[in-house]
Amino acid sequence: MTSPSASSRKALSKIATNRLQKELMEWQVNPPAGFKHKVTDNLQRWIIEVNGAPGTLYANEVFQLQVDFPEHYPMEAPQVVFIPPAPLHPHIYSNGHICLDILYDSWSPAMTVSSVCISIVSMLSSSTSKQRPADDERYVKNCRNGRSPKETRWWFHDDKV
Amino acid sequence: MQFWWTYKTEWHAVASWTWDAHDETCGICRMAFDGCCTDCKLPGDDCPLIWGACNHAFHLHCILKWVNSQTSQAHCPMCRREWQFKE
Repeated sequence: MTSPSASSRKALSKIATNRLQKELMEWQVNPPAGFKHKVTDNLQRWIIEVNGAPGTLYANEVFQLQVDFPEHYPMEAPQVVFIPPAPLHPHIYSNGHICLDILYDSWSPAMTVSSVCISIVSMLSSSTSKQRPADDERYVKNCRNGRSPKETRWWFHDDKV
Repeated sequence: MQFWWTYKTEWHAVASWTWDAHDETCGICRMAFDGCCTDCKLPGDDCPLIWGACNHAFHLHCILKWVNSQTSQAHCPMCRREWQFKE
């Protein structure tokens, strides 16, 4: 619901395929702590299991991230969403969309799935309250019809949480 | 039937080269600097490295794809400074 179906997406370019194969190999040797890539034959959509870090509000909780790669990855950011139920967090909407600048305006092609995962777990770990964003209901209603979070115009105002 | 063979006793290196970059791989395509970007077949003059004013190096083809994909000012993928080619 949160992303176009696999068939409607454009196939990965040669550069994207090559880079993702490298990232996958590096991931297998050295995965980010607390993350597990669910093995499939689909290079364009990664499903990643996230374990809340010990000693944080999300300890012992397990979530799933869905990462979809555009044709021109890494020139374009991947689409990263939690598959509901998403963690209760002031920057994570109940439909799984994540308000995190590096996934949108601040993306850089030097970032990797692994570095994105580390940013997400650090965002979870620094949270001091388990609550939804104030505009959750309005935002989620706006995203019906499967709108991608990459089409949202985000305002990033709080870098403390 | 006859077989002809010889031993090759000497080997002359004509030249060897390497790019003078601080990293070993391009931060964009993740291919080795001694190799070429994903779109090229041969390293060397056909797939040169290029430096930014910030001293970060990339395959020319890779950084051009990034710069051209940005609607406003592009930033260095490594340090986020405004991307300028080193003079």
